Amino acid sequence: MNSSKREALRVSRRGIILGAIVMLLLVPVLDASAGDMALGDPRQMKFKPVEFTPPDADRVVLENGMVVYLLEDHELPLISLSATVRTGGWLDPTDKVGLAALTGSVMRTGGGGGLSSEQVDEELEQVAASLNIAIGRQSGTTSLDVLAKDFKKGLAILAGLIRRPAFEPARLELAKLQAIEGIRRRQDSPGSVVSREFVKVLYGPDHPTARESTIESITRITRDDVAAFHQRTIHPNGIILGVTGDFDKQAMLASLRDAFGDWKKGEVPELRIADAPEPIGGRRTIRFINKETSQTHLRVGHLSIKENDPDYVALAIANDILGGSSFRSRLFNDVRTRRGLAYSVGSRLNAGVHDQGVWLMRAETKLPSTQEVIERFVANMERMRTEPVTNAELEEAKEAYVNSFVFSFASPSAIVNRLVELEYDGLPKDFLQQLRERVVKLTKEEILAAAKKHWYPDRLTIVAVGMGEALPKVLSSFGDAKEIKLAPES
Amino acid sequence: MMKHMRLNVVFLFVFVTGFMPVIGGLANASGLADRVIEHKLANGLTLLMVERHQTPVVSINMTFGVGGVNEQVGQTGLAHLYEHMAFKGTRTVGTKNYEKERPILEELSRVGTELEERQRGLARRTTDGPASPEETAAIEALQKRFTALQEQAAQFVMGNEIALLYQRHGGIGLNASTGKDLTRYMISLPSNRLLLWAALESDRMANPVLREFYKERGVVMEERRLRNDDSANGLLFETFTSAAFRAHPYGIPTIGWESDILSLTPAEAEAFFKTYYGPGRATIAIVGDINPKEVIALIERTFGTIPAAPPPPQIVTVEPPQRGERRVEVEFDAEPSVAIGYHKPALGHADDYVFDVIDAVLSDGLTSRLYTKLVREKRLAASIGSDANYPGVRAPNLFILTATPLAPHTTAEVEAAIYEELERLKTNPVSAKELEKVINNLDADLVRALRSNGGLASQLALFQTVAGDWRYALKARDKIAAVKPADIQRVATQYFTKSNRTVAVLVKKQPDRKVAAVSGNEVTR
Repeated sequence: MNSSKREALRVSRRGIILGAIVMLLLVPVLDASAGDMALGDPRQMKFKPVEFTPPDADRVVLENGMVVYLLEDHELPLISLSATVRTGGWLDPTDKVGLAALTGSVMRTGGGGGLSSEQVDEELEQVAASLNIAIGRQSGTTSLDVLAKDFKKGLAILAGLIRRPAFEPARLELAKLQAIEGIRRRQDSPGSVVSREFVKVLYGPDHPTARESTIESITRITRDDVAAFHQRTIHPNGIILGVTGDFDKQAMLASLRDAFGDWKKGEVPELRIADAPEPIGGRRTIRFINKETSQTHLRVGHLSIKENDPDYVALAIANDILGGSSFRSRLFNDVRTRRGLAYSVGSRLNAGVHDQGVWLMRAETKLPSTQEVIERFVANMERMRTEPVTNAELEEAKEAYVNSFVFSFASPSAIVNRLVELEYDGLPKDFLQQLRERVVKLTKEEILAAAKKHWYPDRLTIVAVGMGEALPKVLSSFGDAKEIKLAPES
Repeated sequence: MMKHMRLNVVFLFVFVTGFMPVIGGLANASGLADRVIEHKLANGLTLLMVERHQTPVVSINMTFGVGGVNEQVGQTGLAHLYEHMAFKGTRTVGTKNYEKERPILEELSRVGTELEERQRGLARRTTDGPASPEETAAIEALQKRFTALQEQAAQFVMGNEIALLYQRHGGIGLNASTGKDLTRYMISLPSNRLLLWAALESDRMANPVLREFYKERGVVMEERRLRNDDSANGLLFETFTSAAFRAHPYGIPTIGWESDILSLTPAEAEAFFKTYYGPGRATIAIVGDINPKEVIALIERTFGTIPAAPPPPQIVTVEPPQRGERRVEVEFDAEPSVAIGYHKPALGHADDYVFDVIDAVLSDGLTSRLYTKLVREKRLAASIGSDANYPGVRAPNLFILTATPLAPHTTAEVEAAIYEELERLKTNPVSAKELEKVINNLDADLVRALRSNGGLASQLALFQTVAGDWRYALKARDKIAAVKPADIQRVATQYFTKSNRTVAVLVKKQPDRKVAAVSGNEVTR
C-alpha cells in the first residue's frame, strides 16, 4: 500500500476526546474488598488532557523546485534523511510490469556518481550508514540514516545514486534473478495469496494498483529500459525531502544545495490513476483458491472512498468501532474473544488518495468455523448500517483518538516524514489536526449515515484460500462461488 | 549480531511484529550508563528508569524470567497461553461481579477438565468396540453442563477491559510476547497516565482471574495454525529446532504442540502463574517523560505490597553433546529453503562474543561474506541470513544459518557453498577491516537504539532478565571489540563440525486434496 494509505490506517486506529467523560459502559465496583487497589479503581481514573506543542519544521524550496523540510534535534549524534519521489509503478508499460521497482532496486545496488557498486556498499557499511532506494506503485522513496560525522559522505553517495546511477549490468542481472525468484515464491504463503488475489478481484488484474510482474515481464526489461525510466521520471522538482537530527539548519541547506543545487528541473510525471470499474448491479463476487492449508484465509470487503471524501472521518471511526481498533472493536470481541474462532481478526479502511480506497474485513479460521466467521462479518457489518453505535463506543473511540494523538508527533522524524507524505499527497500540513477536530465533533448519526452510504453487504467481494471440497460449499451459501486457479509460476 | 537475535517469540496480538533487540542503543558515547536509574523492591522486583522529556509520553516494558523452557511434558504452550490469559482481567477489572462469577468459573474448570479427560479416554479406546451407553450419556451430560456454564460465565465478563482502559487513555502498542526464556508485556502511554498503568499491572500481577479460558485456548490454536501449520518457515523452524534439541526444552515450540494446547486446563494455568510470576522474576523498565522519585514511590505503593514468592524449580536438563549430523525434511507446498544450526554456549560464555562477530562477518549487510559469495558472485541463493542466538540465550543455544536457493540451484548446492565459507573461517584469519566494520556498526546501533523509548525500555529489561544486569550490553560491546582473528579461527574449528550440525530442508510438495483435519474435541468448543 502507498504511504497515504498507511497514514489513513493510522488515523483510523487512533481515538478520543478531551473533555468528554462517559462511564456508561462501566459498572461501578460493588465489592470494595476485591483486589489490592492502593490507587483506587482504574476504571474511575481521570487525567488532565495531554498538553503538547510539537516543534515545527522549516520548509524551503530549492531553486530547482526540490522541497526540503528541516527539523534540528540534537539529542543524539545522528542524522536521518528521507525523501519521496514522484515516480512509481503506475508508469510501468503493460508489457514490462515491474520496471519501476527494478529501477529503484538497481539505483541502490548498481553503483553511481562515479563509484562502483562495490565501492558504494563498502563505504556505506564501513561507517554504519543505512541507505535505501525503492520505487513502489505510487511513489519512490529514499532514505539515509547515518552518524552526524559521516553525513556528508552519505549524502554525496545518495546524491550520486539518485542523479547518476550506473546500473551496472551484473547488478541489474542479479536484481532480475531475485525478482523472478520472488515471483516463483509468491504462492508459498496463503496470507500473501489471499491478499493479492483480493486486490486483483477488486480492481481488476490489469489496474495499476493490482497488476503484478511476471517472469516474462521481468525477463523483457533491459538496461536501456531502466536507464530511460530513471531519466524520464526522476527530477528534483518531483522530490520532497525531509531531514532531522544533529545539524545546523543553514549548514544543512548549504550541504543539500551542494548535492542537488545544480540538478536541472525536468518534466515530473503526473500521478493520475483511473478508477476501477464498479461491479455491475448489486452482486457479490465470491472466489476461492485451493491450497493445502489448515485454515481458511479470508478477505471480505469492497472498494471504498478516498481520503479527501467528506465522509472519511465518519467512516474511519465507524471502521474503528467495527474492527479497526483491535481489542476495543466489535469484530475482535465477537469473533476472537467471545467465540475463540480466530487469532488475527479485524477490519481496515485503507482510504485511497490517488486511487480508490479499499475497505475489508479479515480473519484466518479453521475450515469448520469458516461459515460462522463470514456470517459474523456480515452480521456485524449490517448492524453498523442499521443501528447507531452506543454512546460508550463513540466516546471510547474519541478518547482513544484524542489521547493517543501525541504519539503522532513523538519524534522529529515522525513529524517531518508526515509533512513530506502530506505534501506528496496534496493534503494540507495540518491534515491530522483537522481530522482531530472533526473526530471530536462526530455524532452517532453521522457514523450511521456513513456506514449506510459506504458499506454494501450485497456487493461484498469474498476471497478465501483453503482446501478441500467443503470450502466452496460453505462459500456458496453467500453467493455464487468460483475457483481461481493459480498459474504455476515456474 | 545480537540485533538479529531471534528470540522466537509468539504474541498476544498479531498486528505488531517482534522487536529484535539491538545491543546497540546502549552506547557509552551516549552516556547511557549514567542515565539509568535502578531501584530494587524488597520483594525482589527490579525497576529501571531513563528520563527523556522531549515528548510527554512514556514506554513501559515489564519482563518476567519465564517462558517456554519452564513447561512440563504434556503442557507445552502453557507459558504462552498464560500470557494471553493475563489480559482477561482481575477480581476488579474485566468483571461485572467477581463474587458471583467465581463459583461459576470454578465449576466450569472442574466440568471442562473432566469432560476432556473422558473424551480423551474415549478417543484412546481401540479394541473395546463402541463406548458404553453410560459413558456416552455421561459425556453428553458434561458437555451440556459445560455449555451452560460457559454461557453463565459470559454474562459477567467485561470483554478486554484492561485493553479498553489503556486505549481510552491514549495507550498504544499494547502487546505481549512469550519466548523461550522470557515473557514480556509492553505499552506506551501519555506520561501523565502512569498511575493507570501501575494500578492495572500491579492488580494483574497479584490477582489475575483466568476467565474465558476455553475460548482463548481456541484463539491460541488458530494462532498455531497461522504461524506454524500454514507457514513454510514456521513449520521448517519448528521441525529444525526440535531435531536440534532432544533433551533441553529449547526444542519444544513455544506455541505448544496441538495436542497439548487442546489439553491445557485452567488449573494448570493458575499453577503456572503462582509458580513463575513472583515479583522476584520481574523487571520493569520505564523510559520517557517521568520523575524517577515519583515513579519509585508509585511502584513501592503498588507492586511493593505483592509478597515475595519462593524461587521456582530449576531447569536441570542439559542438552547432551551431539554425536553426529542430524538431517530432517519438511514437505510443504512452497519453494525450498534450508536451515543449518550448530550447538554453542549460552550468553556470557567467552565464545559467545566470538559468535557475535562471526555472525556479523557472515551475514550483516551487502558486503558480508555469505551475501557476497552466495548471492552476488555465485548466484546460488536468493537470500541468506545467520543468527548467533537461536532460539533463546540463557541456556546453550545454536548458531544458525538460513538460505533460500535461487532456482534452478538446489538447497544442496547452497549448503555446500555455506560450508565452504565456514571452512574459510577456520583456515584464513578475518581481516582487520572486517573487524573494524563490525565494531563501527555495533557502536552506531548502540546510539540508534536510544532513539525510541520503547526500544530502550525493551533492551534494558531484556538484559536485566537474561544476563542479570542491564549493563551487559555495554560490557558485551567491549568483549566483542576485543575478539581477535585467532579467536574466530579457534571457535570456527571447534564448533563448525559436521557432527555438531543439524540441517532442516523444506522440500516442495505438490498439493493434494485431502480435507483439513481438525481434532474432534475442538469442534465442540
